[in-house]
Amino acid sequence: MADVNYSEAEKTFILHGIQDKFPCREDGRGCEDYRHMEIETGVVSNTSGSARLRLANTDILVGVKAELGVPSPEKPDSGCIEFFVDCSANATPEFEGRGGEELATEISTVLSRCYDNSGCLDLKSLCIIPKQQCWILYIDVLLLECGGNLFDAASIGVKAALYNTRIPNVTVNQEDDEMEIELSDDPYDVNRLDISSSPCIVTLSKIGHYHVVDASQKEEACCLARLMMGVTAKGTISALKKEGWGSLNPESIFDMMETGKKIGQVLNTSLLNVLEEEEKSGNKRKTVGFLK
Amino acid sequence: MLTSKVFVKKTKRGGVLKVVREHYLRDDITCGSQHCTKCDHNVNVETENSPETDIDSYNVGKSKTQPLVISPPSNSELCSSSHYVIPDTNVVLHQIDVLEDESLQNFIILQTVIDEVKHRSLPANKRLKDILANSSKHFYTFCNEYNSETYVEREPGESSNDRNDRAIRTAAKWYTNHLQEYEKDISIVLLTDDNDNRTKAKEAGIMSFTVHEYIKSLKNGGNLIDRLAWKSSAGTQQEGKLIYPEHIATSDILKGVKSGKYLQGSFMASRENYLEASVNVTESEKFVLIQGHQNLNRAVHSDIVAIEMLPEAEWSCPSSLVLEDTAQAEDDALEDDSKLKNKVPEHLRQPTGRVVGIIKRNWRQYCGILKPSLLKKGTKHLFVPAERRIPKIRIETRQAEDLATQRIIVAIDSWPRSSRYPQGHFVRKLGNIGDKGAENEVLLLEHDVPHQVFSEKVLSFLPKMPWSITKEDMKHRKDLRDIVVCSVDPPGCTDIDDALHCRLLDNGNYEVGVHIADVSHFIRPGTALDEEAANRGTTVYLTDKRIDMVPELLSSNLCSLRCDVERLAFTVIWEMTEDAKILNTSFTKSVINSKASLMYSEAQARIDDKTMNDELTLSLRGLNKLAKLLKQSRIDAGALCLASTEVRFQVDSETADPIDVQTKKLLETNSMVEEFMLLANISVAKKILEEFPNCALLRRHPSPPPSNFEPVIKAASSKGFIMDCSSNKNLAESLNKAEFDENPYFNTMLRIMTTRCMMQAVYFCSGMLPESEYVHYGLAAAIYTHFTSPIRRYSDIIVHRLLAVCIGADASYPDLLEKKKTQSLCNNLNYRHKMAQYAGRASVNLHTHLFFKTRVQDEDGYVLFVRKNALQVLIPKYGLEGTLYLNENKKSPTQFVYNEEQDTQTAGDVVFHVFDHVIIQLSIDRSNVQHLKLAINLVKPQIPGFSVAPASQVDGEKEKVGPPSKKARK
Repeated sequence: MADVNYSEAEKTFILHGIQDKFPCREDGRGCEDYRHMEIETGVVSNTSGSARLRLANTDILVGVKAELGVPSPEKPDSGCIEFFVDCSANATPEFEGRGGEELATEISTVLSRCYDNSGCLDLKSLCIIPKQQCWILYIDVLLLECGGNLFDAASIGVKAALYNTRIPNVTVNQEDDEMEIELSDDPYDVNRLDISSSPCIVTLSKIGHYHVVDASQKEEACCLARLMMGVTAKGTISALKKEGWGSLNPESIFDMMETGKKIGQVLNTSLLNVLEEEEKSGNKRKTVGFLK
Repeated sequence: MLTSKVFVKKTKRGGVLKVVREHYLRDDITCGSQHCTKCDHNVNVETENSPETDIDSYNVGKSKTQPLVISPPSNSELCSSSHYVIPDTNVVLHQIDVLEDESLQNFIILQTVIDEVKHRSLPANKRLKDILANSSKHFYTFCNEYNSETYVEREPGESSNDRNDRAIRTAAKWYTNHLQEYEKDISIVLLTDDNDNRTKAKEAGIMSFTVHEYIKSLKNGGNLIDRLAWKSSAGTQQEGKLIYPEHIATSDILKGVKSGKYLQGSFMASRENYLEASVNVTESEKFVLIQGHQNLNRAVHSDIVAIEMLPEAEWSCPSSLVLEDTAQAEDDALEDDSKLKNKVPEHLRQPTGRVVGIIKRNWRQYCGILKPSLLKKGTKHLFVPAERRIPKIRIETRQAEDLATQRIIVAIDSWPRSSRYPQGHFVRKLGNIGDKGAENEVLLLEHDVPHQVFSEKVLSFLPKMPWSITKEDMKHRKDLRDIVVCSVDPPGCTDIDDALHCRLLDNGNYEVGVHIADVSHFIRPGTALDEEAANRGTTVYLTDKRIDMVPELLSSNLCSLRCDVERLAFTVIWEMTEDAKILNTSFTKSVINSKASLMYSEAQARIDDKTMNDELTLSLRGLNKLAKLLKQSRIDAGALCLASTEVRFQVDSETADPIDVQTKKLLETNSMVEEFMLLANISVAKKILEEFPNCALLRRHPSPPPSNFEPVIKAASSKGFIMDCSSNKNLAESLNKAEFDENPYFNTMLRIMTTRCMMQAVYFCSGMLPESEYVHYGLAAAIYTHFTSPIRRYSDIIVHRLLAVCIGADASYPDLLEKKKTQSLCNNLNYRHKMAQYAGRASVNLHTHLFFKTRVQDEDGYVLFVRKNALQVLIPKYGLEGTLYLNENKKSPTQFVYNEEQDTQTAGDVVFHVFDHVIIQLSIDRSNVQHLKLAINLVKPQIPGFSVAPASQVDGEKEKVGPPSKKARK
């Protein structure tokens, strides 16, 4: 990750701030506060669904492309979902060449693990003809700027993009053993995905003896270990991953999980609220995109 | 303002693609009315006026140039004030004939309408474009889709048709408001046949009528009413008895075709029997027979149809009956079918099917006449097309009396299940029946020959006169002006495209040159002139008229290799030994100066006249000598000499009516020129194929399948000759042997019959076929092309261009080297050539009829084919073929008996075989004005109750005049 070298004094300053009785982070947030977030969906018109998320300085663009394909043999009656993360060299010069590859794989692995659960997204609804034809959702995450907490930001962007996704309605005509798929000619005749139980990632970073959410880049530099978890609106944890070279004792893990669950639930609900509000403004809304 | 159009589409590989198109809306699209001062009309005409003019007159001047006039006079009783008309898509599609009329002016055609028309019918789109281009019609295209005030976006749950209707209404509303604020109002009339649309328009305050209402309300609309297409959904015809089975829905057809349940193919009605047709099934090249009204099920010649095969037990075979649709009443449709119901022996059965649906109608406009009706005052009439394969058409007209003597054009609108005939409407008149101009027009229209005068745009690409050869032209050219070159052509020929020379070289060999007019120098690729020539494909020769492929300036002047003028040429030069062996071949662009334009007979006279020994004559003799050697070697290789009957008319100088007919005579010099042209073609073919193995334009003549020869073999064996048709060489030998003393015409007839077995020679692109299929069967050449007549054939122009690239004399261009483009060009050329041939034959027929208009003559004839109810008789003197119907009169005591095994017809003790000599009487049968039929009656052998008395010979005054200029085909 985009590591910045900070002086020992600076690190100590951050560490001490969090260790205080009334913890105070470098930007004045509390331990369980997220930074300011901006989200907009439908920013890329030639995708099936898209969203752009800005979390303080972290900038992420997500596009969903629905294509017809063959279901995997293990799950013949459901569609597929595939993640691909691209760390643009725009974000930091270190990503140039294959520099961002490792991070990209890491993010996409965590995302697929979060969604690899039948309760998260109803993939069965994406199946058209069992064993023969299904929708495959290719989710492309483009990292435009790094400002810390990339995992959470990516997952929120993905969830928003999925909410925005519109899959054309198809009908199947069966003729003997030939199946033919016909597209509806009405561009408004589409199916939406149900994302009410899709997870968001909440990362808890252990700094000193305490843990914080939504670590900024500086805080990440001081963090020894972190725990990321996929949390749904109901508080179910769909995936869990520990990262970093420091160790965590079981007690603090439980502690962190409890916090994560609580924060994840709030995060999911408020995200859904924002998305629904945006949806209400309808077609008349002018897309802001990158023109801001 | 930017918006985008989003739609999803299915790709060929079955994927789904979301497409996003940017769509820019503008606020500067003007209304096009001279009345309007609000719009900024000067955008388009900025350059025309000088900036100094004072502002007021400036603006007025601008709006004057707009297409829609200030106060159009209103003829309509429905809308008495001045108005502009906006038609909707269906009105434009179905009533284009009416829109073309001069009296309908000041229409606004919306872009939505144009787009939809383009999508649904290409011919209608082309005609709409022509109307829009005609400035005297005052039609204006309003780009409503790009105007920010009239653009509408599709709403959820709205079909695209509904959206377009709404877009049209929005535009109409916009116009209504836009033009309202002036002191003299101009109203907007929306024409639509859709009830729902009309109601909605009225709600929105737009004046709206159906086309029929509007046209009927016009004070001068009398003629127009006739031309209105039938309302497709009109209930008037529904009450009748349903005659035909229903067509199945398009989606079912497509599914059925995919699954193999139905077959798709082009429908070809039989010329001889209106109850029979065959369907050429796409992809399998097989023909499926269709018989009877019910099975034909309203398909019209050249439609693309879906058919279903019948069970094998119901298969049938083409009946040898020649049937013409003479039915008077509607309800005999079922009766007709029973005429054909006969048990067919199993071995004769052919795959038979029935039409279940129409995939694409290929209706065009048809020429013909009105069938004389009993009720002169009625409005419903039957129209009889000139093309026999097209059924009669029911039309409504008020001017029947006027039209009765005219050749007219009619278009088909629909064919409901309850109507025996399709329904159509009158389009325009061509002229009086029997009038030569009108008849020629019919002939050209029926054969789809483009014969309009060349447009200004095409003519603009002609070189400026006076024209002369420049230094630039000489760069890649050899100067051959001092060589003694001459051309040999038929009399009266003005488009001379070939010239020859021959001289003895110092080493004892001959140098022979063929010089072809360099048309490709004048016709540059990609110009309008080039496109026009490519579309016409060939010059069409009618008996009294020539329809040029290129404008006359080129065909008869700059490209024509006339004597004593300098002309550009493309030259092939061979060095040959005395026994006509080619030592080397070279190609070059050149400049020549022909020393003489000879006729065949003049050239022949020079060769034969021993006293003439000038350079020109020696050259001709040399050519003649070499040509004979070349011909012999060609015949040895198996080239066929086939016969066809070609005649020429001697024409009265004043009335241009034919007064005498003669078959063409062939001189030695004809064959001399022909030999060298063949040689040039073959040499060029080799050269271009070597250089461009993938995209050379060649000509092939496929060898006919053995089954084609069956009638010839059968006919020859009846006279005791055995035909060996295994190869072209064997066939040529068999034909040579088949001499028969009693009947000197026997051999020629056999050759005529053999000609009919042949396949059509076609152009093709070398990259599209395996090399084994390049052969030219008739000429016994492994490879062949057309190079020698670029003035009258477009194929030769392409070959010239290819050859010019080969020798570095000219640059190539992308389309020339694209094999798919070349192949589609070839397809057009093949079609045009076929049509030109048919048109030529039809023209000869027409003149034959004119010739016999005042005559009744007895002539020698020979039986060419024996049919079930008729004899085909060949009359050598006129090169005519006629049908002698037998057993027409069922009550007559003499009835003919047909023997299928031996191909004979017997009546009493008279037996007709193939090749039998008969004497017949020729006259014109006037019972049907449409096809003035040449009536043929038997004179000898006499059969009581059937044959007629010999006519006293009528001697027409014979007056020799200059024969028409028709060039022999090479």
